Amino acid sequence: MGKEEKPKLKLAIYWAAACGGCCVSVLDVHEKLLDVIAVADLVFWPIAIDIKYKDVEKMPDGYIDVTLFNGAIRNSENEYMARLLRLKTKILVAYGSCAHIGGIPGLANFSTREEIFKRVYEESESTVNPDKIRPQTEVEVEEGKLDLPEFFNDVMPLDEVVCVDYYLPGCPPQSERFFEVFTAIVNGLDLPPKKSVVGVTDKSQCDDCERKKTDNKLVKRFYRPHEIEDDGETCFLEQGVICLGPATRSGCGVRCIKGNAPCRGCYGPPPDVADPGAKMMSAIATMIDANDPEEIEEIIEQIDDPGGTFYRYSLPSAILRRTI
Amino acid sequence: MEEPRIGVYVCWCGTNIAKMVDVEHVSKELEKLPDVIISRDYKYMCSDPGQDLIIKDIKENNLNRIVVSACSPRIHELTFHKAMEKAGLNPYLFEMANIREQDSWVHTDRKEATEKAKSLILGAINKVRWHEALEKRSVDINPDTLIIGGGIAGLTAALEIADAGKKVYLVEKTDKLGGHAANIDLTFPFMNSVQQMLNPKIEKVINHPNIELFLETRIDEAFGYVGNFETTIKKENEEIQLKFGNIIVATGLKTFDPGGIENYGYGKLPDVVTSSEFERMLKEGKIQTNAGNDPRHVAIIHCVGSRNSDFHEYCSRTCCMTALKYANQLRSALPEANIYEAYADMMAFGKGCEELYLATSRKNVTFLMFDQKDNLPKIRKADSKHNFEMLIEINDKLSGVTVDVPADLVILMVAQEAHENAKEVAHAVGVSMCGNAFYIEKHPKLDPVATTTDGVYVVGSCQAPKDIPDSVSQARAAAARILASISFGSVEVEVTTAVVNENLCCGCQTCINVCPYTAISYDEEKQVSVVNEILCKGCGTCGSTCPTGAIRSRHFTDQQILSQIEGLLSTVLELEEA
Repeated sequence: MGKEEKPKLKLAIYWAAACGGCCVSVLDVHEKLLDVIAVADLVFWPIAIDIKYKDVEKMPDGYIDVTLFNGAIRNSENEYMARLLRLKTKILVAYGSCAHIGGIPGLANFSTREEIFKRVYEESESTVNPDKIRPQTEVEVEEGKLDLPEFFNDVMPLDEVVCVDYYLPGCPPQSERFFEVFTAIVNGLDLPPKKSVVGVTDKSQCDDCERKKTDNKLVKRFYRPHEIEDDGETCFLEQGVICLGPATRSGCGVRCIKGNAPCRGCYGPPPDVADPGAKMMSAIATMIDANDPEEIEEIIEQIDDPGGTFYRYSLPSAILRRTI
Repeated sequence: MEEPRIGVYVCWCGTNIAKMVDVEHVSKELEKLPDVIISRDYKYMCSDPGQDLIIKDIKENNLNRIVVSACSPRIHELTFHKAMEKAGLNPYLFEMANIREQDSWVHTDRKEATEKAKSLILGAINKVRWHEALEKRSVDINPDTLIIGGGIAGLTAALEIADAGKKVYLVEKTDKLGGHAANIDLTFPFMNSVQQMLNPKIEKVINHPNIELFLETRIDEAFGYVGNFETTIKKENEEIQLKFGNIIVATGLKTFDPGGIENYGYGKLPDVVTSSEFERMLKEGKIQTNAGNDPRHVAIIHCVGSRNSDFHEYCSRTCCMTALKYANQLRSALPEANIYEAYADMMAFGKGCEELYLATSRKNVTFLMFDQKDNLPKIRKADSKHNFEMLIEINDKLSGVTVDVPADLVILMVAQEAHENAKEVAHAVGVSMCGNAFYIEKHPKLDPVATTTDGVYVVGSCQAPKDIPDSVSQARAAAARILASISFGSVEVEVTTAVVNENLCCGCQTCINVCPYTAISYDEEKQVSVVNEILCKGCGTCGSTCPTGAIRSRHFTDQQILSQIEGLLSTVLELEEA
């Protein structure tokens, strides 16, 4: 046994309603993962290590130092694990857009559970389900009765179920940001106040964006990115391409914009914005270069899938909850 | 933030509110809420004893937030602001819930109205928690005035102000003064000569030591705010900088071109003329057909381009009486001629006007009423067998008979409409336009010459078609307002302004063009937007536009509004539990 100056941190990573990208982003620190492992024991990480829920249940309360919880709360299993990990963890981090503000799975909130089930288990082109069987929460099998997770009517961000200590946004969070935050925790640096969003700046994307911006934001036509030849240097909005940059917090290094794709909003709202989708819609409304109601209507029609565009990541945490 | 200590006052407004809202019950319920220290009901909160109640409670109970639920804040907010100041509290730590106009007056179910009152007050209580003290500010007034437009309204206002000893810059885009009035021979209903009253005014303006006149001159965008405006005016190739404290817009209007109304054949039939063209004949003293003959049949058609959804829905106001004036002038000039008035509705309001109608009807003038919606008169050229030029087919609404009226001369009473460049002027001085491109006054009844931009007034026909007495009244009213503000010397400016949080502003510049008061500019060095708080009127447009949440509208912050909505949607019980 070597002489250790301080005990290793206990780190857990869990995925709820998520795509797996957040877990991969942790791996994306590449060889720095060795530095992580040097100072932290991974006590729970379903994607990488074989530790069961029952093992977590047996851990004493507050046993885990840091849990990176990614994914939204879609069903009762997600909720159970959120509550369990909250109990077992000192610092619970909502990791990634889904845990932070609902994320892509949150777009399902435009439909009710019944609408989703009807589509998936009855109507979809590839479904053969003559008995119209729907997911059950209990099922009898040879070995006995099985309890299965209940599918909720709403997708929720993590903080609607449990108290969250920090939010690390992104789809997925930039690996560098994860590493910085992790290092800060390990080194016992002064941590920001609880409930802070970390790994971000206070300003929005435009502050880091190097494209040319003017006050001439009048738009006669909106384009999807593939419909226009981007000049590579003018503000996307001024070219009529919807970019969520101004209503999105910076911290990602404006990677999408540097790659000539408009910002889609995964880093979530700036500090004083309650509903970035509504904010962005208000801003876009002022850019429409027309006074005639019919012409305005025509221009608005050019915005493809406004719900999905403006609320791509933030619907479950927005004031708007469903289609109206 | 200090712990809120809220006082809530529920007004009976005599029986106005108490009849439909159980004010005593509401007041008792609200007292249970956290942070509500006192909740009272009282007969008339706006009365002196009502205000004293608030003042006493503030002093004795150390209240720091007040909610009065009574009438509309437009009526009594200022009253209660003053009471707050008397008690030593900042007036902005106050919120009013309107349970009269928005509740008791518009409902018939006492139980529901009582519940609604609770919701409205809960919203106000929730909002006032987040209110912040705001400080009043005032700026000095530059005593010079810019008047745009040298018609009767502009001339009158200029003389009024100049005679009071204050400097006026009078800018006119054409090469002469007098506007439309200068083209008119006699006025209705008393047949006075326009030239006799206009020419002395023009002379006086030209020679007035306090009036600096700029003919053939255009103005550029005006910058600044009440008391301190500036602009550049352009005269030929010369540019002149002017500074002034107030602006009067008196740009007038223009006449409608009837060429687009096929039925009337204007431009094709040489003896179909507009009212302005006929006025010129009257001024020259020569009423003749195109061929140089005395007309024996003259028809006057009303509402050409007015009161018609294809052109202008509004009434142009002066044309009916002008048409009657023409009938009188025609009768004097051509005693033997047949005169026809084809009208849709006779608009004869105003002093002496109905009398003019009656008098004209006794002068052997034939009145025919047509249906303007579906059945406009139709003018055609007469055959050579007739000894008159044209025939007008009119379906007379009163008799139900279609008649052919002979005519040698047809006068079209053309509509009055806004200038083509009305929008440019509106933008230059920061006034709003209605759908018909006339300028909008601050309040249609109670503030008819001011605009929503402090220090900018609209007078005369640029606000809506008007006759001379109304234009003159408005000009004098605006002059009085301006002289009052100059006399006071300074002006209080809005404090519920927008403010940019430079730590959050990302410099996207979305806000700059949405500001109707040109109050926002971009600071290139700091790369953030900056609000000029003296120009800002606190309309909140930039705050809702700002996608970054960097602009706060003071007194209407997101936090305040969202809390108010939460309160409106909650019940007393829920709040108690919280």
